[in-house]
Amino acid sequence: MALAACVAVPLLLGAGARSTPITTKEGVLPSGTELNEEPLDQPNELFASELAGGKRSYLLNLGDLLFSSPAIFGGVARQAGISCETCHQQGHNNPRLFVPGLSSRPGTFDTTGALFNAKADNGVFDPVTPPSLRGAKYLAPYGHDGRFASLRDFVRNVVVNEFAGPEPSPQVLDALVAYIQEISFLPNPKLTAGGHLSAEASDAARRGEMLFVKPFRRDAAMSCAGCHQPSGAFVDHQVHDVGTGGRFKTPTLVNANFNAPYFHDGRFDNYGDVVGYFDRRFDLGLSEGERADLVAYLDAVGDAKEPTVRNTVQAGLDEIAAFVSVLDTAIPAHNQDVIALTVNEVGGEWRELGENFPDRSDTSVSGGLAERLRARAAVRGLVLTLRQIEMASAEGDYDQAAQAFADYRQQVAVATGELKMAEPWSLLNPAIRDAHFAALKQLADLAVK
Amino acid sequence: MPTSFATATPRRTASFAVRAAHLISAALAVAFVSLGAGRAEAADALAKGIKDYKSFAVERIEIALNGAKELQTAVKAGDAKVAQGAWIKSRKGWEAAEPITGEFFPKLDEAIDAWPDAKQGYHAIEAPLFAGKLDGLAAPVDRLVADLAEFDKQLSAPEFRFEAQGLLNGITKLAYEIGENKSKGGESRYAGTSVNDIYENNEGIEAVYKLVFSGAVKARDPKLDKRILDKIEEVEDFVKDKDLKSVNAAGLNKAGEELAVLLQAAAPKLKLKKPAVGE
Repeated sequence: MALAACVAVPLLLGAGARSTPITTKEGVLPSGTELNEEPLDQPNELFASELAGGKRSYLLNLGDLLFSSPAIFGGVARQAGISCETCHQQGHNNPRLFVPGLSSRPGTFDTTGALFNAKADNGVFDPVTPPSLRGAKYLAPYGHDGRFASLRDFVRNVVVNEFAGPEPSPQVLDALVAYIQEISFLPNPKLTAGGHLSAEASDAARRGEMLFVKPFRRDAAMSCAGCHQPSGAFVDHQVHDVGTGGRFKTPTLVNANFNAPYFHDGRFDNYGDVVGYFDRRFDLGLSEGERADLVAYLDAVGDAKEPTVRNTVQAGLDEIAAFVSVLDTAIPAHNQDVIALTVNEVGGEWRELGENFPDRSDTSVSGGLAERLRARAAVRGLVLTLRQIEMASAEGDYDQAAQAFADYRQQVAVATGELKMAEPWSLLNPAIRDAHFAALKQLADLAVK
Repeated sequence: MPTSFATATPRRTASFAVRAAHLISAALAVAFVSLGAGRAEAADALAKGIKDYKSFAVERIEIALNGAKELQTAVKAGDAKVAQGAWIKSRKGWEAAEPITGEFFPKLDEAIDAWPDAKQGYHAIEAPLFAGKLDGLAAPVDRLVADLAEFDKQLSAPEFRFEAQGLLNGITKLAYEIGENKSKGGESRYAGTSVNDIYENNEGIEAVYKLVFSGAVKARDPKLDKRILDKIEEVEDFVKDKDLKSVNAAGLNKAGEELAVLLQAAAPKLKLKKPAVGE
């Protein structure tokens, strides 16, 4: 599950909060910024290995853990609980991201500001959109300005330079790269493997497809498809100056319906604005109908069958199971660093799942109290058993760590039943969730001067 | 919010009374060991500490009650600044008693410390109070005073006695919770005193452990006793002289969990059941 969508409040409070206040004394955040209510629908994350009928590797799972861990960063980012996942939820983007002083609008972030690493400060307020990582392995070069040919070099730069982390070990880089390279584009039934529209696309989209490949009237060597090459994931692996203040790489259009805001700095909210900009910039002379057809085409290319998935107990359990499988390798290998990482991150995942079950003090929720309390107790027991694994391994007692891990496995089986039993009265139920957040908002309203 | 509100008052150890009683508790440990393995005998050996702890708990709840009464007076007088100070004073007493509030008095705990709830309890008062608004506070403040008075009455009653198992459950749960939402912003976010909450929680854990359990654990497993005492100090170090911006949340989370695990490990030494960590 994703870390809280908003990093603003953690920064204000100085803690890696997931359940955070709607408002604080320090100020109110811009409209559109996610405050404390993580959406029930999360970005869908599919891995190439699983789509091919295989399974997640150890390295993928380790990379996924590292991606969610503030421990690989340094200084302010680590203290604030920021991880890669903060900006790339489920390997996607985060349109609600807002960091006071570093964001121009939700969904943008100045990676060359001084807050997280004074050495990275370029002296310019130039926030960019953290891109979706779907299909990243096909989208070199990396960085909006395409300065890194290698994903590995790009990842190292993010860790060390943008977020002041310690020099990552080869294993850490291997794992992060393995994870990112596994994040697949989402299936889109409107698009063929060769990048053409399928029979499911609309007539308007088909008309738009013709315009997309048509040479520009002022320069016949150019067309939309010249840079966004349909047969190559709609990129050309080049950087171009399209009049937005520099040379920036061609972004993919695959699944792009879910990548707003658009352009490197997130200046446009929708395809209509994007098409309008190019029409003016390159004097394309498009009619209103043609612009609409191009938008329909982009909308078809950028679609996905299942862009989001509902956050449920089972979804949480599945993710935790993938994460914790790292211990199957790390405990026998006596790899204390990986054991500690896994316990900290998986413990956090369990706590996050457990916080969906309001306790007795939450008077906004009625019903299912006994079930909720049993679910919370089960989660707490699991967190402490995980901690036993880490404590035992830290003392070099890997036999005891293995025993505790076996206990953990047994406890998960029991906890699964308790959590599912209590799910109807949890914050995973939209009605319960609404009541809980309405109560939080009531308190927040009282606190407005 | 004054900066001083956000910083825990440094206080290295528990009160003199706690330390003195801790020494007596250690002496009783000899008796505990010589009593053999019986559960009833073990409970008797803890009885003196439990009695001492009751005095500590009553003292803290009365701090909470007196603070609430001062809050009541200040609200009636329309003095927001004094009212804020009184709320913080009351809250400190309450948080130090938290090992026993939910465990032994769940209904009153629910009313006094409801979250999120805009109608009753500390937080319904906190939100407008620290925005400088006193309108509408009279009713929830009156209710808070009444609930704390009832708490004090029930706790102080001669016939009320803590059970050792409940106390171990209470401090283990609280240690876990220190590593939970309390390490991620806490509940007193409008007052900005969440770090104080954690500090006082840890004081409460320290009081229960030192007064009731330490001697007996030390007699059976001195290494474990030392680890628990060291871990309590470690938790304190994470919040001492800190505000929320400077608290190492990840470190505090880990230390809280480790303390809970160590307290679970103490249960068999005390002839008690592994503490339940659910509510």
